[in-house]
Amino acid sequence: MSEHLLRVDWPACKAHGVCAELLPEVISLDEWGYPIVHEPVKGDVLLLAKTAVKACPTLALRLTEPPPRPA
Amino acid sequence: MTATIAVQSAARNDGGLIPNVSEGPALLAGITQGPGLVSHRDRLGPAPRPRAEALVEMARDVDLRGRGGAGFPFAIKLAAAARRRAVVVVNASEGEPASHKDATLMTCAPHVVLDGAAAVAHALGTREVHIVVPSELPSLRLIVEKALRERAKAGERLKVELHDAQPWFVAGQAQAVLQLLAGRENLPVTAWKPEAVSGHRGRPTLLSNAETFAHLGHLARVGSAGYAAHGTAAEPGTTLLTLRGDGWDPEVREVAFGTPLADVLSNAEMGQPLLLGGYHGTWLRSSQLSGLAVSRKDIAAAGASIGAGVLLPLADGWCPLVRTAALVDYLAGQSAGRCGPCRNGLPAMAEALRDLVHRGGPAGRVEELCGLVTRRGACAHPDGTARLVASMLTRFPDEVDSHALGICRGNRREVFA
Repeated sequence: MSEHLLRVDWPACKAHGVCAELLPEVISLDEWGYPIVHEPVKGDVLLLAKTAVKACPTLALRLTEPPPRPA
Repeated sequence: MTATIAVQSAARNDGGLIPNVSEGPALLAGITQGPGLVSHRDRLGPAPRPRAEALVEMARDVDLRGRGGAGFPFAIKLAAAARRRAVVVVNASEGEPASHKDATLMTCAPHVVLDGAAAVAHALGTREVHIVVPSELPSLRLIVEKALRERAKAGERLKVELHDAQPWFVAGQAQAVLQLLAGRENLPVTAWKPEAVSGHRGRPTLLSNAETFAHLGHLARVGSAGYAAHGTAAEPGTTLLTLRGDGWDPEVREVAFGTPLADVLSNAEMGQPLLLGGYHGTWLRSSQLSGLAVSRKDIAAAGASIGAGVLLPLADGWCPLVRTAALVDYLAGQSAGRCGPCRNGLPAMAEALRDLVHRGGPAGRVEELCGLVTRRGACAHPDGTARLVASMLTRFPDEVDSHALGICRGNRREVFA
């Protein structure tokens, strides 16, 4: 399964911390409560990541498309 | 040498700009004849208008890079934007206080820039050109307006709109410029796609720095072989530099790539630490300067980047740590305050740095904060600030140690607050 990247829309993020609650495998919080994304998501974590993206109160988290595969 | 001095006084512009300007080999070749269109056309003839493919090929041949600081290959940008309903944006806003090269170019040689913008617009099959000028230099806007009237009278059919950038550091960042064009606040937002793909109102947008357009106009005129008349085989062409841009006796110069740094800086300045690339730049020790040339590759090998061509030699008697702490205070204040890691991280970094420099505090906290702000914002402001601070720590470990013991080698005790 391909990797997806989690990207934060920084101006939109208001440090609610929901993403780190739902996705501790990949996201931790810095000292001010803003997310630190540690690695790309793949496999089972991808479903959790989609949940986290939907749950963000300010819609500041996005999964970006994996780069296109060479034909 | 005498000729240069004579030209300097001749070209000291009346547009309200401070820096000394001397005649240069390519872009600044005609500045002593004034900024008018008639002398410009007399000297160079009509501006050629190559097709997009030809322009992309020439830009690739000479490896033309963007001159706004990031150094992105222009050919890639141009090829990406060469689609239907493209828009051209000339960014002359220059948010960096120590850079004056774009303002100087727009003031002394506006038609050199506008020829480039016209060539790009023609190649992209568009008439829509936006020019972003700094609101803190109203005289620059008047000069550009006058130049545009001259061109319209001479028959140029472009739809040009001027925009006034806000006088803050991040206003010139690409996404902030697109916000300004859209009528919103002139601040960065998150870019999900490159602006060449989806920029102004979702259209393909060729947004580049004013100097980049000037190089493109020159390239379209003389071709890749003519462009390579200056510079080295690996790095053809010239570049604009701002020397001492925030200090005493600032100067803007156009030099060929490969010019030794020793030809640009004075002997005394070669013996001082150099902040290269501006407030978002990198410190170099004086021992790294001899033998170094104005060359992207040489400078990259020394662990720095030429950025937008800002050279800030440390003034005699100053301490690089005290200077950095003052710059980071300024940069923290220039955070737009929109992205959490920057809004919180830069003031924390400024405080940790003040602590290190003035009270012998630990470097560990400063390093930690550099890591915490990097790549965590809509624009590169936190990254650039972290780069400046990290270079201070790596270049001046002895000074950091002596500050920990309460010793400063600078002989100025009070700098800022």
